Amino acid sequence: MEKVQNMQNVKNVQNTGNARSSRSPFKRMLHHIRSIYQLKIGVTILAALVIVAIFAPLIATHDPYLLGDELTAPPSGAHLLGTDGLGRDIFSMIVYGARTSLLIGVIAALISGVIGTLLGGIAGFYRGRIDKVLTEVNNIFLIMPTFFLILLVIALFGSSMFNVMLIIGLTSWVGNARLMRAQAMSLRERTFVLSSTAIGESRSKILFKHIIPNGIFPIIANTTMNISGAILTEAGLSFLGLGDPNVVSWGQIVFNGRSYLTSGWWISTFSGLTIVITVLAFYLVGDGLNRVLSPKLRANY
Amino acid sequence: MGSYIGRRILTGTLTIILAIIFSFLLIHLAPGNPVSILSGRDNPSPEMEAALIAKYGLDQSVFVQLGSYLKNIVQGDLGQSISNNRPVVEMIAERIGPTLLLSLTTAILSLLIGTALGIYCARSAGSKLDSALNGISYLFDAMPGFWLGMMLILLFASGLKLLPTAGMVDLRADYTGFAHYLDVLKHLILPGLTLTLISTPYFFRIARSSVIQVMSEDFVNTLRATGMKESRIFNKYVFKNAILPTVTVFGITLAYIFTGVAIIEIVFSWPGMGSFMLKAISSRDYPLLMGIYLILSVSVAVNMIIVDLLYAFIDPRIRYK
Amino acid sequence: MAIMEVKNLSVIYHASGKRVAAVSDVSLTIEERDAIGIVGESGSGKSTLAMAILRLLPERIAQAQGEVSFEGADLLTLPAEKLNQLRWKQLAVVFQKSMNALSPVHKIGMQMTDVYRIKETGISKRETRSKMLQLLDMVNLPERVYDLYPHELSGGMMQRVAIALSLMHNPKLLILDEATTALDVVTQGQILEEMVALEQKLGITRMMITHDMSVVASSCNKVAVMYAGRILETGLVKDVLANPVHPYTKGLLKSIPSFTGEKRNIRGIPGSIPDLSVPNDGCIFAERCEHAMDSCLIEKPQDMVLPGNHRVACHLAGGAAYVS
Repeated sequence: MEKVQNMQNVKNVQNTGNARSSRSPFKRMLHHIRSIYQLKIGVTILAALVIVAIFAPLIATHDPYLLGDELTAPPSGAHLLGTDGLGRDIFSMIVYGARTSLLIGVIAALISGVIGTLLGGIAGFYRGRIDKVLTEVNNIFLIMPTFFLILLVIALFGSSMFNVMLIIGLTSWVGNARLMRAQAMSLRERTFVLSSTAIGESRSKILFKHIIPNGIFPIIANTTMNISGAILTEAGLSFLGLGDPNVVSWGQIVFNGRSYLTSGWWISTFSGLTIVITVLAFYLVGDGLNRVLSPKLRANY
Repeated sequence: MGSYIGRRILTGTLTIILAIIFSFLLIHLAPGNPVSILSGRDNPSPEMEAALIAKYGLDQSVFVQLGSYLKNIVQGDLGQSISNNRPVVEMIAERIGPTLLLSLTTAILSLLIGTALGIYCARSAGSKLDSALNGISYLFDAMPGFWLGMMLILLFASGLKLLPTAGMVDLRADYTGFAHYLDVLKHLILPGLTLTLISTPYFFRIARSSVIQVMSEDFVNTLRATGMKESRIFNKYVFKNAILPTVTVFGITLAYIFTGVAIIEIVFSWPGMGSFMLKAISSRDYPLLMGIYLILSVSVAVNMIIVDLLYAFIDPRIRYK
Repeated sequence: MAIMEVKNLSVIYHASGKRVAAVSDVSLTIEERDAIGIVGESGSGKSTLAMAILRLLPERIAQAQGEVSFEGADLLTLPAEKLNQLRWKQLAVVFQKSMNALSPVHKIGMQMTDVYRIKETGISKRETRSKMLQLLDMVNLPERVYDLYPHELSGGMMQRVAIALSLMHNPKLLILDEATTALDVVTQGQILEEMVALEQKLGITRMMITHDMSVVASSCNKVAVMYAGRILETGLVKDVLANPVHPYTKGLLKSIPSFTGEKRNIRGIPGSIPDLSVPNDGCIFAERCEHAMDSCLIEKPQDMVLPGNHRVACHLAGGAAYVS
């Protein structure tokens, strides 16, 4: 479940580790066109999801918490995607689940974005000992089995949505910090930053006024990717029975469907498919943004 | 080279220390008191409470507590499992075999398949096959592993009734000798396939982007201009340059593979640490959960150190630093 | 005698339905023992031109038309086997980033030997080694370089290795693609000086791709100015640099500081290279040219030949309308 995070980290390792040959303007243009196509598809899917989440009560055909009489009923006109073992309408559960999954994904990714930007910016801009410490923390988080730590925290502190968002955010900022650090390190040598120093602007002001606003683009793209990572992590937690019991989430529907796999295949199948589509949409947008916004840090092709 | 190895060993050691500190902090910060977390009971018996207080120095300063916590771990004592009332280390030792079998199978298969496909696609980057495999790799990357496992069960086991879907051996048959291994192998197919499918994209993309990057280096153009055969340029020069990053990545993928394995074990009732974990969660067996977390952190750190030592020997850029 | 004749060479990149003309209709004659500089800003197509001559463009997306005759053969259509025979023996190259000229994870000596043996088979290991050491010595490098890895050398030293590598078979034509750009000025000067001495000794013809007019001035006898895939002005260095005719060449020359002459403003040329995926019927430079007339926008200028085979593709050249 932390594979997304890890992928990002690995990409970053490669990006910082190798001197990249410069690209011709022609290739850049080619990427631009492809990325825009990719972005369009991703954004369309995401917009649809957000609309579903906002207008869930209007779109859902049933109350997702209502235990109906028809247990494990297959998809039909009455229940578009069937019902689960307790008679709840799967379609309506998925519609309401969009709220949970998107909220957790977005908030967790924002937390990780803010922490990563601040720590990475500070490390790359101030350098020195603080940079060494942060780089080491980076390396440690790169190999640490983070998912098990998240699991432990949720098991001990309780599985409220708030806890889930917070702990995912607190453990996934490393990739962002690495990106921001690289940005800060190159920006601090640029003329406009050097001249701000020369006219006596304070260091912290330069960091917030110049370094962070100018270096934020890769973080925006990466944060989009992190949303999908957070959604997958939440699904993994739900599958271990550590989802928030007070709300519906896609992972929980898959988890509940496990006991009905042979008698009610639709329960897990559709909810899982929703996760796949959502995660893919965030990939498309994140990857597209990455190509458009930060040509230098782009992975190959 | 010395400084590189030193740094990596330091990182590995710090990872283990940090994992220990995290679990220590959790015992103390989590709702409820340390005694109830370590005993798994809201009202432990006075004797049990006294024993735990003595063992972990819970009536003393935080530093003494951390010290005795560390001491216990270093001595190989990860505490007592609540649900089974047995030492955690003993229980993990029993379960680690199946988990390692599944993890290693996955790691080796996905490394080989992913790297091979990645190299192949990089050489024809932009072709239809390349685009298709690239798309598929994102698709599998976007799948929760447990869901893919369940879909495979639906397809192969419930639908086609081809393969066993649960456990590591057929309990009714009680095979011995060669038949036993064959039985294990049969049970390994579905969980192994699921894990390989979700892990391969990771190695695929690393190998692919690595080869593409090396192919665009100036030295490749220079070698082409010399009239050297394309096959030789690739086999001798590009391959070695491209494969090195994959090696370092292998050092840090274990955490990711373990995560996948733990969850897939649950789907297929594979008798390893993952299935265990699920029971530990539902029975609030915190010492066992922490034990699993610590053991995994140690394995991951040790694996990284070994791989990086190996890497230091094969990459001249590090060897001569 | 002409050693290479490029006739109407065009290179088109195909991508996402677009056709980008990176090099259009370039003709160029290189005489034996010439040292010709191809100058232009980045994106002018000068490196694409070199890659097309070397036939190293990615075939899937790049298509080269025209003719490049070298040693009595057309390099663009020559069968691969024949081409490989010419490679390195007759036609060698040194690329832009010297640090990446060789594989970073193989020893320098091993790579040089490996390249040497493509052409010289059946030669003993010891002989090859001593030949390689001679080559290193020729470019003023110590013997120990043979057993080192590229990352253990400085940029200047690696550039010397790359030059040694390119000279191992005394090629007829040597192409240097921005080969000294990454070096500091002092090292660049030294290497250029040694280069010129070596090619006089070995009788090598050189084609030098660069964006730096001063490199051309100090090491070449001919120059071709490229812009947006076309050659705008070509001729002897002494003619072109002293009496530039094309407004673009003048702009380029103004952008380098002069140590000896009168004080002038150092200035670039405003604007940037046009979109090469849009066909252009007029003068490609018209958009940025301060002297552009109506005819510049509709009619493609033909080469004007001035004394000394100084050629200029400009409607204003020789015309009364344009007095500098």
